[in-house]
Amino acid sequence: MLRITVVSHYPKIGDTFEEQLLRRSLAQFDRKEIDLAKLEAVKDEVTRTVIEEQIDAGIEVVTDGEIRWDDAVTYLAGKIKGFSLTGLLRYFDTNTFYRQPVCEGALTSPQEGLVVKDFQFANTMSSVPLKALLTGPFTLAKLSRNKHYESTEEFGIKLAGILGEEIKLLEQAGATIVQFDEPALLNFKEEFPLFKKIWAKLAQSFPDHVETVLFLNFGNLEGVYPKILELPFTTLGLDFTTASANRKILCRADRAVPNDQAANRRSTDRRRANFSKKLLAGIIDARNTKMETEEEIRKRLEELLQIVSAEDLSVCPSHGLEYLPRESARRKLANLSKVVREFREAKVKV
Amino acid sequence: MQELPILPTTSVGSFPKPDYLKRARTQAYKGEIRERKLRELEEKATKEWIHFQEEIGIDILVDGEMYRGDMVTFFAETLKGFEVSGLVRSYGNRYYRKPVVVDEIKRAKPMTVEWFQFAQRLTKRPVKGMLTGPYTIMDWSFNEYYADRRELVLALAEVIHEEALDLEKAGARYIQIDEPAVSVRPEELPLAIEAMGIVTKGLKAKTLTHICYGDFEKIYPGMLDIPVDQIDLELSNSNFNLLELFRKYPFTKEIGLGVVDVHSHALETKDQVKGRIKKALEVFRPEQIYVDPDCGLKTREVQEAKDKLRVVVEATKEVRKELLSH
Repeated sequence: MLRITVVSHYPKIGDTFEEQLLRRSLAQFDRKEIDLAKLEAVKDEVTRTVIEEQIDAGIEVVTDGEIRWDDAVTYLAGKIKGFSLTGLLRYFDTNTFYRQPVCEGALTSPQEGLVVKDFQFANTMSSVPLKALLTGPFTLAKLSRNKHYESTEEFGIKLAGILGEEIKLLEQAGATIVQFDEPALLNFKEEFPLFKKIWAKLAQSFPDHVETVLFLNFGNLEGVYPKILELPFTTLGLDFTTASANRKILCRADRAVPNDQAANRRSTDRRRANFSKKLLAGIIDARNTKMETEEEIRKRLEELLQIVSAEDLSVCPSHGLEYLPRESARRKLANLSKVVREFREAKVKV
Repeated sequence: MQELPILPTTSVGSFPKPDYLKRARTQAYKGEIRERKLRELEEKATKEWIHFQEEIGIDILVDGEMYRGDMVTFFAETLKGFEVSGLVRSYGNRYYRKPVVVDEIKRAKPMTVEWFQFAQRLTKRPVKGMLTGPYTIMDWSFNEYYADRRELVLALAEVIHEEALDLEKAGARYIQIDEPAVSVRPEELPLAIEAMGIVTKGLKAKTLTHICYGDFEKIYPGMLDIPVDQIDLELSNSNFNLLELFRKYPFTKEIGLGVVDVHSHALETKDQVKGRIKKALEVFRPEQIYVDPDCGLKTREVQEAKDKLRVVVEATKEVRKELLSH
């Protein structure tokens, strides 16, 4: 119960010479001093290192750190036939950028899949469960330009089909948790009906025994909650740090009467009944180096337990960790894991 | 100082550093040359840029920021309360160090005044005082000290205000406070406006702000409430599409009109630039317009930057002549 996990990317380099292996190797590759096979070997090595770092920090469900990904869309779109990649655009409100994919023809996925090989490799490197990561079809569609399909709906549904095939391949490769990042939804809330259609298509491919995670950040749920719960996925992932409104929105169903324990219990029961999914909660801020205090983390955990039971709750940073320097990411993860473990043990004793 | 002509020409702030200065900066960073030697070369480069601007006939000059690395890092390194983070990635294989606020922000001494005075002594034409705005410094820094973004931005506004007052005292008639980050979070525009109000309060100098990375649609016309006399925008790299927006809601301030793309190696022709200025004249009154490149030119080669500046001036002069002959 109360699993400690991470979402999406992990810093690719750190401040020491050894930790800058990937940066050096990419530069050497650009200068044609090393070949592609050597570069791929370096990416494998860095993937192995960042998995170890996550495990050392106490993370119980790790990721491959998206070491091969330049950004949320380029890596995937670059493998799908029918896309070309163009200029740099800002990724939401961050100071990071992505290359915009342009859909110029019918989209087809490569036979070997998009991330299955990466997953297989990373999974063998990890002594704890490793979750597979994909950018969701709606976000892929919204961050791309579609010059081929009649409508965004057709385009999005095509992408949902491709990602649906991918999740089947991932299941065959042994994945038990697959996370879809869909930050675009919270920035285009008015398109919820389209999102729903695209996800209905995606869900047709969801295997029975795979936990599917819908991770939403770069915004809050206002306007899409509770209807988001109607969609067919296992776990809803949310940012509870910078999007502090999420807590209020999920707790709004009814407020507890202060100092009345019975009423408090009843309203917790009701809230838990209302929230029909598992919850993945980003409770440390992955966009600021400021360390959370133990009290802050414990307070957030208590609040979350009013929405779901400990069995249905996982915690993580609010975003991927690449917005932080590697040293800061490590310290944040270690802090999260220490406080959550102590909290968990105290709960079990009670 | 001489009167400004109609359609005054200027530039947004940074110019490319000549190779000898780039080398010297690396050497200084490694401790291979002394601060004083670096300073000498920064002064030499500043002189060269001032003379070049005079020679081609730019009306409002800048010092070119030969002594600054990054527009936010410079202030973070000079103010008290900041440290610098480990490396974070911006895209591809590019990484940078981000300022971290770890303590109360204080300005121990003026940060840009000495350089302003140095540049202004070299020319009779006005030189702009150049600052980075509190909203952008806040948005591009980690914050470990202040309770939230608002508290940090207001603290920064106070120290940038002090700096602006000192620039004015030193004779600056134009003070530019750049806020490129303002277009990124439309919901925080009111905060940026409040902070700019603190920065420009009581200034008699003409105040301007440069905004870029343009999703301007999302902050227009709200951005007209930023308390400055002039807003400088990059228009060339979006093919002047914004003019349609300004047709719908009139642009009520002076405009700094970016007429050459700073991200492209390609040099615009004089006719292209004239065309852009004339297009703008369909929407703005001539007295509203100041003509300049889209953004700072520091990422171009020295020669490319000079060529771009030259075409801005030549095209403007011709349009000016046409305007006056009507």
